[in-house]
Amino acid sequence: MRQQDVGTIAKPDLREWVERLLAEAEVIAPTPAHGGDVLFATIRSADEVLWDFENPLAPPKPLVLPQTEPLVRIRRRNGRLALEPVDDARPRVLLNARSCDVKGMAFLRQMMAAEPADEAWLRRADRLTLVSLACNDPCRQGFCVCCDAGPSLREGYDLQLTDLGDRLLAEAASERGRRTLAAAGRALRPAREQDLDRRAELEGEARRRFGRETCHFGSAMRRLSAGRVEPELWEQASDWCQQCGACSYLCPVCYCFSVADRREDGGFLRCRLWDSCQLSAFTLEASGHNPRHQPAERIKRRLFHKVSAQYYRRDGSVGCVGCGRCVRACLGTTDLPALVAAVREGTWNG
Amino acid sequence: MAEKPGVPHHSDGAANGRAALTTCPFCSCGCGLYIHGEAGVLAGVTPSEHHPVSQGRLCARGWAAHEAPAWGERLTEPLLRRDGVLRPVGWEEALAHAAEGLRRAAPAVGVLGSARATNEECYLLARIGRQALGTANLDSAHRSSYQAQLDGLALVGGPGAAQGTLDDLEASEVILLVEGDLTSTHPRVGLSILRALRRGARLVTVGSSRTQFARLAAEHVPVVPGREREAFLGLVAAALESRERARTEALPGEAELRAGLAGRTPLEPERRVAAWFADAPRASLVLGPTNADADEAFESARVLATLLAVSGHLRRPGSAVLLLPARGNLRGACELGLTPDRLPGARGPFDEEALGRLRTVWGREPTPATGLDAEATVQLASALLVFAEDLPGALPSPGAVRAALERARCLVVLDAFLTPTARLAHVVLPVAAFGETDGTVTSFEGRVQRVRRLVAPPRSARPGWRVLADLLERLGAATSFRSADDVLAEVAGAVPAYADAAQADGSGWGAALRLPRDTGIALGPLEAPSPPVAGPVLAWDGALDWGSDPLVAFSPTLRRDHLSRRKLHPRGVVGLSLGMAQQLGVRAGDPVRLTSSSGETTLPAGPRGDLEPDVLLVPYAFREAAAVVMGGAAAREVRLARG
Repeated sequence: MRQQDVGTIAKPDLREWVERLLAEAEVIAPTPAHGGDVLFATIRSADEVLWDFENPLAPPKPLVLPQTEPLVRIRRRNGRLALEPVDDARPRVLLNARSCDVKGMAFLRQMMAAEPADEAWLRRADRLTLVSLACNDPCRQGFCVCCDAGPSLREGYDLQLTDLGDRLLAEAASERGRRTLAAAGRALRPAREQDLDRRAELEGEARRRFGRETCHFGSAMRRLSAGRVEPELWEQASDWCQQCGACSYLCPVCYCFSVADRREDGGFLRCRLWDSCQLSAFTLEASGHNPRHQPAERIKRRLFHKVSAQYYRRDGSVGCVGCGRCVRACLGTTDLPALVAAVREGTWNG
Repeated sequence: MAEKPGVPHHSDGAANGRAALTTCPFCSCGCGLYIHGEAGVLAGVTPSEHHPVSQGRLCARGWAAHEAPAWGERLTEPLLRRDGVLRPVGWEEALAHAAEGLRRAAPAVGVLGSARATNEECYLLARIGRQALGTANLDSAHRSSYQAQLDGLALVGGPGAAQGTLDDLEASEVILLVEGDLTSTHPRVGLSILRALRRGARLVTVGSSRTQFARLAAEHVPVVPGREREAFLGLVAAALESRERARTEALPGEAELRAGLAGRTPLEPERRVAAWFADAPRASLVLGPTNADADEAFESARVLATLLAVSGHLRRPGSAVLLLPARGNLRGACELGLTPDRLPGARGPFDEEALGRLRTVWGREPTPATGLDAEATVQLASALLVFAEDLPGALPSPGAVRAALERARCLVVLDAFLTPTARLAHVVLPVAAFGETDGTVTSFEGRVQRVRRLVAPPRSARPGWRVLADLLERLGAATSFRSADDVLAEVAGAVPAYADAAQADGSGWGAALRLPRDTGIALGPLEAPSPPVAGPVLAWDGALDWGSDPLVAFSPTLRRDHLSRRKLHPRGVVGLSLGMAQQLGVRAGDPVRLTSSSGETTLPAGPRGDLEPDVLLVPYAFREAAAVVMGGAAAREVRLARG
C-alpha cells in the first residue's frame, strides 16, 4: 500500500478531523435519536457523531435515492413549458457507514450507471464521499459474510476505518478518500506493521463470531433457478406477510420507484417516489387487471430477483448485502433469511 | 423550538429541523415514526426501532404518512362564500362570520369531529359545543358502533373491561379474533398475532369471509353478517359447561345467565374452543371495528365479554381485550367528549363527577343533555361546525348527507384538505395537517402520545387547536392557551385519565391513561339473537372506506388501489361466493338483482373465493349503490336473481 493510502488517527484527534470535514462539506453520520434509536443525520458538530452504535435501521440509501426526490420543475413561461432540473448540488461526506451499506451503494451504482444511466442518481452519488467503519463484531441480525459484503471490504469505499482500540486505521481506495484522510493533517500518522496486523486479526475474529446467523444462498439459488419450488410454499409464506413494503424501502439494494407530478405555484414538480414490488398496486394495470394479484406471486417474484442464478449472473452478486434490516422491519415473518431457509428446506414453517 | 448546540435530537423527540418523532395518524395502533422534511415539506419517514409499538415496523400506510400533507389539495387561506363562490378573506373576517353563523343557529347546531383531530382539538370542539353553543349534538364518524362495543364490554366487566396490550396479545396461548381483515385494518395487531402463532398460540377467527388470519386459525367460525351473536352464544354455552365441570365459584349473575341459556346444546367445535379458553393461562380477544348498528354491536360485545368472564379471562392480567377503533384518534375523540351522549371524561351518560369537574374547569354549566348522532345532526341542525372530516365519505348514508350539507344554512369547515365537504362550506378555516402541528393522540391501547410539528402549515393555515381556541373566544368563552400543551393541561383537569399524559415530559414513549376503578364482573341473562335466516344475506364489507380519507386519497402511493377499484366498478359490485355465482349462472360483471323488503337494486357480480355460501358483501366504498336494498340496516336478507 502506498504511504498516502493508509494511516492511523488517534481517537482524541477524531473530533478535529471531523470539524475540518464539516468546514468543506455536509457531513452525515449516525446520530442519537429518541430513546436509543440511531439515525443517519446531517451533523452540526463533531460531538454528534456516534462511533459505537448499531447500524441505523434506515440505510444511507436516501442520500442517493431520497424517499421523495424532486427531479424536474415544470413551469409555464410565455406560453411555453420550461423545464428546470432540480439539482441538489451539495458535496457530502457519509461518515461511519458500515460495510454492508457501502457494498449496497456499489450495487446501486451498478444498476443506476448501466445504460441508459440515471443522471439524477449519479449526480448525487458522485458528490458523496463514503467513509466506512468496518465491523469488529457481528451485528444483531446481520449476515454480511454470506453476501461478501462484510465485515470489512476491499473496495467500494473512499475511505475504510477500523477501530484498533486507541486509534482508527484508515485505508483510502480513491483520490477522494486520500484527500479526506489528508484533512486530518498532523493527526494522521503512518500505519505501523502492528496496526495492519491488528486489523487483519480483528477481521478474522469478527468473521469467526458470525456463527449461526447465516443465510445459505447456494442451495436456495439452485432450487429457485431450476423452478423447483412448489407454489404452495409461496402461498403459505404470503399468509405471514402483511404487505407493508418495508423490506423494499429499507433494503440498501432495492431501488424500485414511481414518478408523480406535484402541483406547485406556477407549475409542477416531477418527483421520484419510493415504491415496493410487494404492494398490490405496483403491477396494477389501467384496465384493473393485476398480473401479480396474489401476495404469493409478489413474494415469489422478489425472491427470484434477489436470489436466482439468472440475476446473479447478470449482476455479479446476490441482491442482498446481509444487513439484516428486513429482519428488523418485517411486519410479519417473511424476511429474506426466513424465505431463503424455506426455499432450501422446501417448506414454509411460519 | 430552541436547539441545544451539539445535540442533534432533543430528548423530547424534536430534531435538528430535519426529522421529528411523531405518531402515525392512520389506524389507531399508535406506531412511532420519524418524519423527515425537505424545503419545508414532508419528504419521508423512518420507523422508530425502540418505540414499544412500532419496534422498527410500519405498515404500508405508515410508510406513506408523509405523502398526503405534501401532495394533497391543501386549504391555505380562510374562505367565505359570497355570491355562491368561495373567496379568500382574512382570518378576522372568517372567524367572525363563523362565530356569528354558529351562534345565530344555536342550539340547533352540530359539532362534528374526526379521527384526524388531536386530543386537544377534540376537547376544544366539545367545549365549543357544550359550553359555548349550548348543544349536545357532538359526534365523530365511526364513533357510535365503537362506543356501543365499549359499553357492551363494560356492562359485564366494568369501565376498564377493554384493557391490555399488544404484548399481552403476543404472549397469549389462545386468541379470539372477531371480524376484521386485520392486515388491511390494523396490521400492527396482525404482527402480534403472527408472533403468538409462531410461539404455538391457537387462533380462533369469527367472520363471514376467509381472510388471511382465518386461514392461519386453528378454528375458523363462519358466520352470516348480523348473526355473529348466535356463534358467540354457542361459545358461552360451551364455556358454561366447562365451568360447571370445573366447579368454580359462581360469578355474580351466573345463575341467571345459565338459566337463559338452558336448552342450548353446544356444538363440538364450540366445546373445543371453550376448552382451549378454559385451559389457557392467557386468552385474549381482538374485537375489530364493525359496521353493525349500535344495538347489535353492544349485544355482541356483551356476549363476548361474558364468554371471557365465564372462562376466567375477563380482567385477568395477561389476558387482553383489545377493542380496535376504525381509525386514528377515535378513542381520544370519545374520551374527550366528541360524542352526543356523554361529557368529556364521563364514564356514561349521567356522570355527576364529570359534570362537576367541567363546571369547575369551564366556570359554567355544561350542556348535559343527550344530543343527536352524526347522521341525525347533519339532517336536523341548521348550522354545522365540521373539523377534519369529509362527511359523505365517512358516514353510512353518503347521498342523504350530501343533500343535507347542500341545504345547511351555515356550514363551517375546518380542514387541511380540500374535501367534498369543504367545497360545500360557507366558511372555510384552513388548519394544519399531520406533521405541521403539536398535540397528542390516544392509541387503542390507551397510550397517549405526541404528534409533532416538523414543518409549518402552508401559507395562512394555522394549527387546529389554535383556530378552535380563537372560535371559542369569539363565542364568549375566555381562554388563554398559548400552546397545545396548555390545552392538554386543562384537559387533565377535566379528564383525570389524562393527568399522567399532561405531566409527561416527552422524553419517553407517551403515557398510559389512568385506568378506571375495577367494579367487578356482572353477568346476566343475554338477549336472544335474531332468528336464523334461510337465505342469502347482504352486508357491507368493512366499516370504513379508506379511499375517501384524505390521508389516503391524496397519497400517490396509497390511493392507487382505491382509485383503480372505483374505475373498475363504476356502478359498484356485489361480492358473492363462487358456488353462488355458479348457481346463478353469473360471471364477473354480470348483473345480479337483489331484492329485499326495502327495495331492489341491480349490481355487477364480483365472485370471490373467500366468501361463505350465503354471504353477499358490498365494499363499504360502494355502499351508496346498495343503499335502497339495505334500507338503513347493516345486514339484510335478500333474494337474488340473475339481472
